[in-house]
Amino acid sequence: MIEVQGLHKHYGSFTAVRDLSFVVRPGEVLGLVGPNGAGKTTTLRCLAGIIPASGGNVRIAGCDIALEPVAAKRALAFFPDEPRLFDYLTVRQHLNFVARIYQVADHEAIAQPLLDEFEIADKADQLPTELSRGMKQKLAIACGLLHRPQVMFFDEPLTGLDPLGIRRMKNSIVKRAREGATIVLSSHLLHLLEEVCTHVLILKRGEKIADGTLAEVAARFSNGDPHMNLEEVFLRATGGSEN
Amino acid sequence: MLNALLYLRFTSLKNWLISRGRRLRQPKYLLSAIVGCAYFYFFFFRHLGRDAAHHGRNAAATQAMNDLVETLPADWHAALMAFGAFALLVFLTLMWVVPAQRAALGFTEAEIAFLFPAPITRRALVHFRLLSSQLRSLAGATVMMLFSNRWSILGGNALTHTLGWWFIFSALNLHFSGANFTLTRLADLGLSAWRRRALVLFFILVIIAMTIARLPVDARVPAMGNAMDLGPVTSWAIALTTTAPLGWLLWPIKLVLAPFVALGLRDFLVAFGPAFAIITLHYLWVVRTAIAFEDASVDYAQKRAARIAAWRAGDRRMGGTPTRGRPAPFRLASTGRPEVAFLWKNLLSTWQYFNLRVLLGGAAAILAACIWLNVRADWRGFLPGIAVPVLILAGYTLIVGPQFARQDIRSDLVNADILKTYPLSGWQILLGELLTPVVILTAILWLALLTLGLTFHAVDARLDWLTAELRVAIGLGLAVLVPPLVTLQLLVPNAAALVFPGWFHLARTRGGGPEVIGQRMIFFFAQLLTMAFALLPAVGVGALIVVISSHFIGTTVAVTIATLFVLAVLLAEVWCGVWLLGQRFEKLDLSSELRG
Repeated sequence: MIEVQGLHKHYGSFTAVRDLSFVVRPGEVLGLVGPNGAGKTTTLRCLAGIIPASGGNVRIAGCDIALEPVAAKRALAFFPDEPRLFDYLTVRQHLNFVARIYQVADHEAIAQPLLDEFEIADKADQLPTELSRGMKQKLAIACGLLHRPQVMFFDEPLTGLDPLGIRRMKNSIVKRAREGATIVLSSHLLHLLEEVCTHVLILKRGEKIADGTLAEVAARFSNGDPHMNLEEVFLRATGGSEN
Repeated sequence: MLNALLYLRFTSLKNWLISRGRRLRQPKYLLSAIVGCAYFYFFFFRHLGRDAAHHGRNAAATQAMNDLVETLPADWHAALMAFGAFALLVFLTLMWVVPAQRAALGFTEAEIAFLFPAPITRRALVHFRLLSSQLRSLAGATVMMLFSNRWSILGGNALTHTLGWWFIFSALNLHFSGANFTLTRLADLGLSAWRRRALVLFFILVIIAMTIARLPVDARVPAMGNAMDLGPVTSWAIALTTTAPLGWLLWPIKLVLAPFVALGLRDFLVAFGPAFAIITLHYLWVVRTAIAFEDASVDYAQKRAARIAAWRAGDRRMGGTPTRGRPAPFRLASTGRPEVAFLWKNLLSTWQYFNLRVLLGGAAAILAACIWLNVRADWRGFLPGIAVPVLILAGYTLIVGPQFARQDIRSDLVNADILKTYPLSGWQILLGELLTPVVILTAILWLALLTLGLTFHAVDARLDWLTAELRVAIGLGLAVLVPPLVTLQLLVPNAAALVFPGWFHLARTRGGGPEVIGQRMIFFFAQLLTMAFALLPAVGVGALIVVISSHFIGTTVAVTIATLFVLAVLLAEVWCGVWLLGQRFEKLDLSSELRG
């Protein structure tokens, strides 16, 4: 479960996120959307404990990220938009390293099915420099899933993937949500978010504009139109501009 | 078309200078630039324009230079030419032996994106690339002139040295391109790389063998008498390099070298024409032999961009970017101290020679060699000659080693976001990251201590109090203190990266410049000051313990107790440093720090 209360983040006089509150429960997939510069990535990084919040309260799986960061991070996984890998570790060595960091006993038994699921088992002894972008992304995700996180944060996970990769990524996210994980997913690909997300939160200039199930948010901005999609909801909610 | 290309080059240079100038509005860059410029002025520019014979700051320095000249053989100038020509021959031979890829020209990705699809002939692209490299050679020659112009025995002045270096760099650059194109053509005609290498090496060896055979029998090997007399060596080198056929092979190389070693302006002007002719011939050779370089150039540009990106991200660890996976240095269990995972990871990023097997093998080799030297009375005199440079190496490793052993948070700062998602405290991540350079530098210093311990001999009666037991106690004590000492040394540059990430980011800028040099000098002196501040209390109290207690319990026991005390203090300082930096790392928001 993710509980956010009054999250606030500023850089000097600039406020990136202002008084943000929401809850995501196990099994839910929250789509975090907003124009460029809305504060999506900043929000995700605060939730994952990468940067300290300027104010507010964030609880991950019942642990306060500020007061119990180690316990909270044990339950979460963060997947950045650009896969961050170590150039000198092979695929297998990446999983070995992450297993030790997260104390995943007998990680080989978990790692092999992950490599098979993401179809990179035959690349196990290759370096990231020998992998395509899609494969790097899959390796980064396999590393994040090794310790069976209860909470997952995805920042633009579909960028750079081919259609088959996008399909598999969506299936993987839905599968983990069904298994009880709590997922927050940030992306500009709204029609794809519609297929995966159960809830949506729209940000603009650091502030929450709308938050709820897809149906609830659509109803708020649809003016009675039953066929409005997420893209139209988004454009109405944000006024069609970044400012 | 050439106008457009020259416009690109000169406008880029102008804008680069303007942007560097604008950066000086920020205090951190301005301060670094002032320090860097001061260094350049006092070390280099102050002596420019003076007569070569008056480069010494004072009479003592000038006298020392004159004394050096008197110790050199009379034909030292011709010998300099001979050794220089032979060194260049080695470089040129490697250009024909080493390359394995198809020839590429060093275009950047932006140049490829704009110029390759443009209506520019291949020959014009080659001209553009070669002219660009000439400008770079000239810049490099200017830098080298700043060093060589201080060696007054070389003669000449700033201008002759600059042009002399330019001829050398230009010739090497052009020969490299020409050789690459020629080898690619030969490869396309079916000549394999190994056969080509064998042919080139065979040719060079035959030339050298024939030359030696043509020398008089008693002149084929230098007649060494007094080890300090270089006369026989220089005479032999001159004879070898002026006798056919090696002399013919080296003749064009000597023409390129001649402007640099010219003693005066007249000699320089005489040498200028032939050297310029050699450069021109090389230029025409490259242009004529240029083959389809586009595929290889695209590949080269991508790899170069990746190297630059890694460099800018702080990844300048020893070993470079690997192209193949390596076996792990040891088996990493799934559970246990997480800090060991960082040691394992970072060892994989550096040279594969840093492993336990090499360490133990090195220790065994040192032990065997030193024991052999000790038992041979006629070789025992070499022991001090080994101890002194090893002592210097150990000091250099301790003080400067942390600048090179960067397999810590400095190279992983680009991955800070991911590291901060790990369920680890900041101090655990810092400690883990420090382990690899600590282990590497400690191993080097332990080998140095072993060597010093085995090669030290009390040649002076005043050192008779340094008994064997005491030497062992001191040696073991130093060995125990090395790991915390090295860790303290490493904490300083790591602290710089975490506390001043904006300044650290400045140091990662490729291209250097006075502000980068100035920043590095500031950090280096800050490191020395911090180390002195950290060591003074511990060493001071330790010395006091030895002085006071040695009267009661003997010097050996006193040294041991003092070592334990110093160790405790150093460990406490290390722990404080690691914990504080860990706290800093937990609060670090790199994107915010680099906004300024």
